[in-house]
Amino acid sequence: MITLQSSDKDVFEIEQSILIQSGTIKNMVEDDFTFIPLPSVDTETLIKIIEYMKKHADKTDSKEKNIKEFDKDFMKKTLNELFALVFAANYLHISSLLELLYPSIADRIKDKITEAIRQIFSIRCDFTPEEERRIIMDNKWAHEGTEIEGTLD
Amino acid sequence: MGVKKVEEEEEENRARGKRLKCTFNMEKQQEGGAKEEHDYGEGEIDDDYEQFIGEDDDSDEDDEHDNDDEEIGDNIGVPCSQPVGFFYPLTTPSSIVVSDALDPDLPVIYVNTVFEISTGYRADEVLGRNCRFLQFRDPRAQRRHPLVDPVVVSEIRRCLEEGVDFQGELLNFRKDGTPLVNRLRLAPIHSDDGTVTHIIGIQMFSEAKIDLNTVSYPVFKETCQPHCEEFSEYSIKSGNLLHCQHREICGILQLSDEVLAHNILSRLTPRDVASIGSVCRRIRQLTKNEHVRKMVCQNAWGADVTGVLEHMTKKLAWGRLARELTTLEAVCWKKLTVRGAVEPSRCNFSACAAGNRLVLFGGEGVNMQPMDDTFVLNLDAANPEWRRVSVKSSPPGRWGHTLSCLNGSWLVVFGGCGRQGLLNDVFVLDLDAKQPTWKEVSGGTPPLPRSWHSSCTMEGSKLVVSGGCTDAGVLLSDTYLLDLTNDKPTWREIPTTWAPPSRLGHSLSAYGKTKILMFGGLAKSGHLRLRSGESYTIDLEDERPQWRQLECGAFTGVGSQNAVVPPPRLDHVAVTMPCGRIIIFGGSIAGLHSPSQLFLLDPSEEKPLWRTLNVPGQPPKFAWGHSTCVVGGTRVLVLGGHTGEEWILNELYELCLASKQDSEA
Repeated sequence: MITLQSSDKDVFEIEQSILIQSGTIKNMVEDDFTFIPLPSVDTETLIKIIEYMKKHADKTDSKEKNIKEFDKDFMKKTLNELFALVFAANYLHISSLLELLYPSIADRIKDKITEAIRQIFSIRCDFTPEEERRIIMDNKWAHEGTEIEGTLD
Repeated sequence: MGVKKVEEEEEENRARGKRLKCTFNMEKQQEGGAKEEHDYGEGEIDDDYEQFIGEDDDSDEDDEHDNDDEEIGDNIGVPCSQPVGFFYPLTTPSSIVVSDALDPDLPVIYVNTVFEISTGYRADEVLGRNCRFLQFRDPRAQRRHPLVDPVVVSEIRRCLEEGVDFQGELLNFRKDGTPLVNRLRLAPIHSDDGTVTHIIGIQMFSEAKIDLNTVSYPVFKETCQPHCEEFSEYSIKSGNLLHCQHREICGILQLSDEVLAHNILSRLTPRDVASIGSVCRRIRQLTKNEHVRKMVCQNAWGADVTGVLEHMTKKLAWGRLARELTTLEAVCWKKLTVRGAVEPSRCNFSACAAGNRLVLFGGEGVNMQPMDDTFVLNLDAANPEWRRVSVKSSPPGRWGHTLSCLNGSWLVVFGGCGRQGLLNDVFVLDLDAKQPTWKEVSGGTPPLPRSWHSSCTMEGSKLVVSGGCTDAGVLLSDTYLLDLTNDKPTWREIPTTWAPPSRLGHSLSAYGKTKILMFGGLAKSGHLRLRSGESYTIDLEDERPQWRQLECGAFTGVGSQNAVVPPPRLDHVAVTMPCGRIIIFGGSIAGLHSPSQLFLLDPSEEKPLWRTLNVPGQPPKFAWGHSTCVVGGTRVLVLGGHTGEEWILNELYELCLASKQDSEA
């Protein structure tokens, strides 16, 4: 059993076999650490990470469909939660989770106009009005209207 | 050394502590060493160790090597007084450790005097051990001290595994238990063949101000995420977790450039990249990166397609190319005149492009005679000219066959009508060979002999054929695949529970890596044969690929008078654009429709809609599928500007999908 401690000082006791999905934890375990403080991961996020690792620990064929369903649902989170997971998964070197998170985030950008993306991701526009006008013109083709008008000869 | 000896030494060392250090320092000033200052007992000192004692100048590396393999000296070459890394001041000598990387436990094989002085461990006490003993407070301890940051240890391990440099700080302990802060740098040393043979560690030890009695974890640096970035407006006031503090602000901007570009931006379509590129400065900068743009194209269109476009992008950058292929703003007709001649003249030949070369084979000559000669037109030449390809032997002459390009430079002929009836043989010509020769490919059980069937190339190396007409005049509806990457290519039928009505003169267009769109043709309809305007699709990657009809409506946009679908036709031109959309025009169309009207379809849409495309420039009067070639992914060349008896092959009509030159500054 390995003990993990979140940044909020909450402790979790988990089997080693589940935790070695995290490259970082695997290295620490191999170096004989049994108490692993994770000052960069808060409790809320750590709980989710543990949930993910528990589900993915058993990769038998019969569970594969099950796992796919779980993954799909697991991604139904707010953007902030997804980013917190990205940082945690990055830090803990859980590449399978990252491979799940990146496309999910990309999906939220898909087919959105610039202003929508700004709102969804809470990004402040830092262009001067001049620059912004020019950029809008340059990228008008992206989503506004149809690029092809059609009439028969 | 016996265990007893160690204990005695420890007692003495603890008692003496700094005095030992002073002794060493004094020592250095003397020549030869004053052995009597050291209470290590008679016969305890290695000859090797004497070397260290005798050292009076750390920068004199050579002598220290007598201890070890001589090769190491060649690799070290770091005089102690030189600065190593940005936080080593010029005057302080560095502690150096070298470990053997070929041994899995990374045993220490060399330490310098500064190391010995700083840590209180003598070289002979530590050689052969992994240097993690420095993390033990007590030389007899089995485990490292709990205050040693496991995250840093894990990072060290990772860097060693990946063969990259490490720089960081770690809690260490002198032999007497005094805590030290070790500012450590580790670097791999490679042999000539690239194997990592040694690890060199350079340490700067300093006093650690910690209370060993309280094991409280705030002693660890609250590490920022390894890939976190600080952004100017929202500067981090404390070292706290970025995402905790700034939940309500831009999580996406907290990702590093690398992660943002490689993992998020690269997964977007060119349109979405343009959209997000307008959001803020930093993202705009990232989206302007040519490498990122290329990745976007690769992910969106596939590696095969972007490979073909590489040549094109020498003149036009990826960003511009992606835009033009999406908006088709630069699409236009051009006329191209070339030299040379394809003689004797013929019709119903088949032509195809291999890179920038057009290849023509066979055809129907005077008196319906099947031809068997091969011609090449090299568009890269300053003055492109039709040239006959001299080959040792040719496939039997034919017309109504298909010619496809596979593996970049192979031309593959299948089927057609020969002198003695319909054929089902396969011949391959490698245009890049020194002496191109037509070679027959046996292929196991071939499909039925046929003509006016359709073919396409899947994933660059698989030939797919379907439909056509048999000797008996029967229309076919089968689908066959020949994988030419195998040593012994074998025809394989694709069995489907349902197939589109049998037909000839239809088009097969590969899109989305593994899918095919079938359009038009002269199709069986009851006991009639009618021109078709239907679309069908199949995904060959499915476990059991099935044809299904694609219900396509017509796009009704602002400004378009009529919403139209392409009138039914056969022998038309169907071209798949790099972005996956398909253009259809030409062919034999019933009624008074203009064959030069272009139609566009995106078969991967949920509800595909036909759009019309108005193209400036002079289009050809007629265009036929079997004599149209696609060059470089963006140039559609229509051979033969006239119908009837005369096929003038010196005038080509080119449909340019993208600009040829980047006119932007």
